[in-house]
Amino acid sequence: MKKLIAILLTVTLVLGVVGLASAEYPKKNIKMLCPWGAGGGTDAVLRALCLSAEKELGKTIVVENKTGGGGLIGHTSIAQAKPDGYTVGMITFELQTYKPQGTGTITWEDYIPLCLINTDAASLTVNKAWAEANKITDVATFVEYCKAHPGEVTIGNSAPASVWHIGAGLFATETGIDVKYVSFEGGAAAVTALAGGHIEAVSVSLAECRSQLDAGNVICLGYMDSARPALYPDIPTFQEQGYDIVYGTWRGLAVPKKTDAAIVTKLEETFKKATEDPAFVEFMNNGMYTIAYKNSAEFSEFLAKNAADVDATMAALGLKK
Amino acid sequence: MDWGLLLSSYGSVLTDINVILMTFLGAAGGVIIGAIPGLTATMGVALLVPFSFGMDLIPSIGLLLGVYCGGMYGGSISAILLHTPGTPSAAATVLDGWPMTQKGEAPRALAVAMFASFCGGMIGALCMTFLSPLIAQAALAFGPSEMFMLAVFGLSVIISISGKSIVKGLIAAFFGLIICTFGMDKTSGYIRFIPTNAHFLYEGIPFIPALIGLFAIAEVFSSLEGIARGEKSSAGAVNVKVDRVLPSFKDIKLIAKNVIMGGFIGTFIGAIPGAGGDISAFVSYGVSKSTSKHPEEFGKGTPEGVAAAESANNGCSGGAMIPLLSLGIPGDSVTAILIGAFVMNGITPGPMMYVEKLDIVYAVFAALLLANLCMLIVGCLGIRGFVKLITIDKKILLPSIMIVSLVGAYTINQNIQDVGLAIVFGIIGYLFNKHEIPLSPILLTLILGPMAESNLRRYVQIADGNAISMFTRPITIIFAVLAIISLIYSVYLNKKANKKEETPAEA
Repeated sequence: MKKLIAILLTVTLVLGVVGLASAEYPKKNIKMLCPWGAGGGTDAVLRALCLSAEKELGKTIVVENKTGGGGLIGHTSIAQAKPDGYTVGMITFELQTYKPQGTGTITWEDYIPLCLINTDAASLTVNKAWAEANKITDVATFVEYCKAHPGEVTIGNSAPASVWHIGAGLFATETGIDVKYVSFEGGAAAVTALAGGHIEAVSVSLAECRSQLDAGNVICLGYMDSARPALYPDIPTFQEQGYDIVYGTWRGLAVPKKTDAAIVTKLEETFKKATEDPAFVEFMNNGMYTIAYKNSAEFSEFLAKNAADVDATMAALGLKK
Repeated sequence: MDWGLLLSSYGSVLTDINVILMTFLGAAGGVIIGAIPGLTATMGVALLVPFSFGMDLIPSIGLLLGVYCGGMYGGSISAILLHTPGTPSAAATVLDGWPMTQKGEAPRALAVAMFASFCGGMIGALCMTFLSPLIAQAALAFGPSEMFMLAVFGLSVIISISGKSIVKGLIAAFFGLIICTFGMDKTSGYIRFIPTNAHFLYEGIPFIPALIGLFAIAEVFSSLEGIARGEKSSAGAVNVKVDRVLPSFKDIKLIAKNVIMGGFIGTFIGAIPGAGGDISAFVSYGVSKSTSKHPEEFGKGTPEGVAAAESANNGCSGGAMIPLLSLGIPGDSVTAILIGAFVMNGITPGPMMYVEKLDIVYAVFAALLLANLCMLIVGCLGIRGFVKLITIDKKILLPSIMIVSLVGAYTINQNIQDVGLAIVFGIIGYLFNKHEIPLSPILLTLILGPMAESNLRRYVQIADGNAISMFTRPITIIFAVLAIISLIYSVYLNKKANKKEETPAEA
């Protein structure tokens, strides 16, 4: 009898503790790892998101920028953190390139994907004076020009094997054109070179082209999303122009493998609500970041397809080891 | 130029107590952040941006610009007093600032640095107000080939900062250029010369930990050696009496030329996207030395050297704002973060800002002037306190510097391997010091090497392998000629200075 009571007591206690563990989560502040530097786009989105999520969570989320190695160090730290739910991290597009490029072994399968937060489509943006001189008005005329002048047109991007480099590569492979890819130190530097007429085109995000676009120094020929950009409804998508290319960068949240399922669900809900917070929505609209929430299951599916696409394009570009 | 609007914007900013308070707080914080090795103005601004979300635009811009300007000056305090540039931009200030401290002229050096920073900053802010659209167009003309030649011109300064022996300067420079090639090739993504598991080196040698190692930690090692050999650890009767917080009239006259030149050089280099305070300080130092009547005194503790470096790195802050506001393109790492602060407030910097939001543009100009003014006041108030740093007993000072340095090396990437790297560079710096190999050329090459390499390769890609064709581009040619002149002239000056030293009879 005593034994039975003891067992019963133990079971209740254990169950109670387990129950409490997820019910009480979070008991302390949460650490949020950012693989990119303070002040950059990823950092800005993440900090704004955390401000909104804190309202839901009732605890502080401390953003830590663990940078270096082209994001590899931060991405690795997230996967290797203690799976207790108190370390969450933002994963970004670059995660898909480490393994194909041979710089790292980590892939999306080393995490539990929590949710997709945002996607930003690539664009094809050209120098206005150059486009006018060569009568280029849309993607078709651009492709035509490139076919007539093989190997002459330069498309700028933000870094080798970066999302925009691969985006340009995808476009060139799909349309069968021969162009030069030149990497700059970030998208802004590429756009500067474009505005100065040092290169003919860039394949970076529309947000990075925005000020030159407003000033009329550059024109955007096409947007690689399934819908036109909200702030620039005059810019057509690639799909509208008959090129089935939807491509861009993405940012999402992930936790280390083996994190408790209840905690994953709790975080998933918290951040879903955060993405709907009016303050966050306003921030994202101002910065021209597109909110694209997907839950854990949808995000995993998205990552699997995206990884395969990136791998194939990198192989075509000769970036794969 | 809309004078009425300009005046009313200036008036409203300079009389708004909220803006003044925020800018002053920013400047005070910036000076402290700048003085601590490893904490840079960039970092200070990045960390404050989220706090500024809730504020109105102009007070928040004032706060951020205050940190920016304060940080630029703050870096010189530790450069002068402790032989440790608090920020990369203050690396050139060490060259003459530290020898001045060794001569017992620390208060004078600090006053000169502060005055030069202020004047440089004002020149930058005024240039920004009146010449912005003009300079912005010039900055756009800088493509890959121009950037490459600008870097080469910057590298020609090496001889000027080499000290007595050109050979030893070149040893340091080549050491720097070789380690620049470590890490990921920025054109093809190929990983060069590092073990594949050394992820922290993928983006090249991390600059801040290297800087901290070469200067701060190496200096600690050298001082320890001195103490071990029986040198006194307490500073004893060092002259730290501060008679005046501003430089004397005689000093102002002495440095006037360097300050004005530095301010303009800083503004112009700052306006070129991708080139910042560190490069402009070195270039200004080199130019000041070559045009000085007594170049042999540079490197031995002349206020002119301090003034040249400090006016340029502060002029840079005004310069960097030019492409930010008029093109929407950040001129350096701080303005790259500022652009985010504008966007968060629903304003996109760029050419359209001059058309639609001219009042905000003028308010930003005014905020920058205010930030420089606040920096001057903070400096004047603080100078007596800063100087006391060198009176601290080395038994307390050295471990403190070591701890701050190691923490600083960690903070920049939050990576423990960077701390190890800083120590390795500390040992390298110590050994170089021992053999009188100058350290500044290593820094200069670490800054300019990657800039030269990636821009050259970029140009070669665009020009289908025809690198020679860059000599059909006027700006490229101008910088090439400047580089050659600077190189030949500084070798000549070095020879002359060494000769003068061999025949001391003339005194």
